[in-house]
Amino acid sequence: MKYLVALAAAFLAAVLTASLSPYVKVLGVAPDFVLIFAACWAMVRGQSEAMFVVPMAGLLRDLTTSDPLGLSVLALSPIVVLALLRELRPVESDFLPALVVVAAASLAYSILSMTVLTAVGDDVPWGTALLRLTVPSIVVNPLFAVIVYPPVRWLSPQPRPASFGVGSAVQL
Amino acid sequence: MRTLWWTLAIVGMSLISIVLSEHRTFDPLQNISLTIAAPVENGIRDLANPASDFFQGIFNRGDIVRENERLRREMERLQTQLAAGEDASRRVRELEDALGFQNSHPDDQLVAADVIAQDPSGLKRALAINRGSKDGLDEGMVVLSRDGSLVGTVSLVYDDFAWLRLISDPNSAVNIAVLPEGGKNPAARGIATGDLRSGVTLEMLPTQTEINPGDLVTTSGLGGNYPRALLLGTIKTVEDEPQAPSKRAVLQPAADVSALETVIVVTSFKPARLAAP
Repeated sequence: MKYLVALAAAFLAAVLTASLSPYVKVLGVAPDFVLIFAACWAMVRGQSEAMFVVPMAGLLRDLTTSDPLGLSVLALSPIVVLALLRELRPVESDFLPALVVVAAASLAYSILSMTVLTAVGDDVPWGTALLRLTVPSIVVNPLFAVIVYPPVRWLSPQPRPASFGVGSAVQL
Repeated sequence: MRTLWWTLAIVGMSLISIVLSEHRTFDPLQNISLTIAAPVENGIRDLANPASDFFQGIFNRGDIVRENERLRREMERLQTQLAAGEDASRRVRELEDALGFQNSHPDDQLVAADVIAQDPSGLKRALAINRGSKDGLDEGMVVLSRDGSLVGTVSLVYDDFAWLRLISDPNSAVNIAVLPEGGKNPAARGIATGDLRSGVTLEMLPTQTEINPGDLVTTSGLGGNYPRALLLGTIKTVEDEPQAPSKRAVLQPAADVSALETVIVVTSFKPARLAAP
C-alpha cells in the first residue's frame, strides 16, 4: 500500500513538473517536484523504501519528458546514497537534512543528466547550463521542498525515535 | 554493501535503458504514459493559467497580460504578412527571368495541435503536443505558431503524441535571412541557433551588410529543411565587433515560444532530411 501511495504521489509530481514548468519559475528555473518528492521520501521513510521509490519516480519522470528513458533513474540515484549518510548520522529532525539532500540531489541530477545528454549526442552548453540552471536549482528546489516535505511527513505518522549521535540508545 | 549492489544494478539498468530508448524501443510505453498523463496535465494547465495571471500581479494584471498577448499576436500576424510581402517582392526582382520556379508555399496541409507539456529539465526547449504519427506527423516537420511564424520542428514522434524542438533549443539551427527595412539592401544570410541565455542567436551574418534592430528575420530556405520566408521574428540587438569575421545578433521571436498553447504542424512540406532516399 505504501508503495502504491508513493507511486501515485510520484506520478502527480511528474505531471505537475511537466505541466507547471512554464508557469512556476523562480530565478529562471522551474522546481523539479519529482526530485523534491524523491528526496523528501528518502529522508522521511529511510533508505530501504527509497531504493524502490526513487527509481520508480525517475521512471515516471522520464515517461513524461523527452529525455531518454533511464536518464532520471540514473540522475536521481544519488538520493539513495545521500539517504544512507542521513541514517549513519541521525539528528532530531528530518526537515533540515531533507533540504540539504534536495540541494545536493539537484546538483547531482543536473550534472548527471547533462553528462548523459552529452553522451547521446545532444548539444549541451555546459557553462551556461551550470550557471543558469544548476546553481538556481540548488536554491529553488529546497524552497519548494518546504511545501512538499509536510505532506510526505504527514504520510509517515510514526517518526523515528530521536537520538543523539551514532549508536545512541537513549530515547527521549 | 547493499547500497553498492543497488547502485551498480541501477547504473547498469539505466545505461541499458538509455541505449534502448535511443533506439526507440520504448516508444509504445511513452505513448501510453502520455495518453494517461495528458488529461491530467491539461487540467493542471487550465488551473495554472488563471493562477499564473493572479500571481504575476495584483488586481487587473491578468487582463493586461491577456491584452498584451492579443496585441503581440496581432503584431506577429502583421509581421508575417509583411515578411511574406517583402520576400515576394525581393524574389520577383531576383527571379523574374526564372519562369519555372516553384512556389515555395504550395497548398499547405496543416495539422493543429494542443501543447500538453513542456520539457521541465531546462536543458532543452521542447514541447509535447497531442498529435502523432497517426495524424501524419514525422520527425523534422516544421511547426508554426497559430499566427504563422516558425516555432520549431518535430523531434520525436509517437503514435498519438509528439515532442517539438523549439527554435530556442540549443540543438536547433535554422538557415535564416535578415530582410533590411525598405528592401534596398540585399538580404543577409545567417544561422539562427538556440541559446539557453538569450533565446535565439543569429550567427554567421556578413559584416558588410547593414543590420538594424527591428529588421525582419525569415527562413532562407537553404538546406531544404524549412520552407522559405517563414517569419522567425525581428532583430533585437546587434553585436558588431570590428575584428570579428561575422556579425552576431539576438532575435526577438515573433511568437512567445514559452507560452504556446496551440501550434500548427506543416505536414505537406517534406524537409530535406526526410525526403532524402
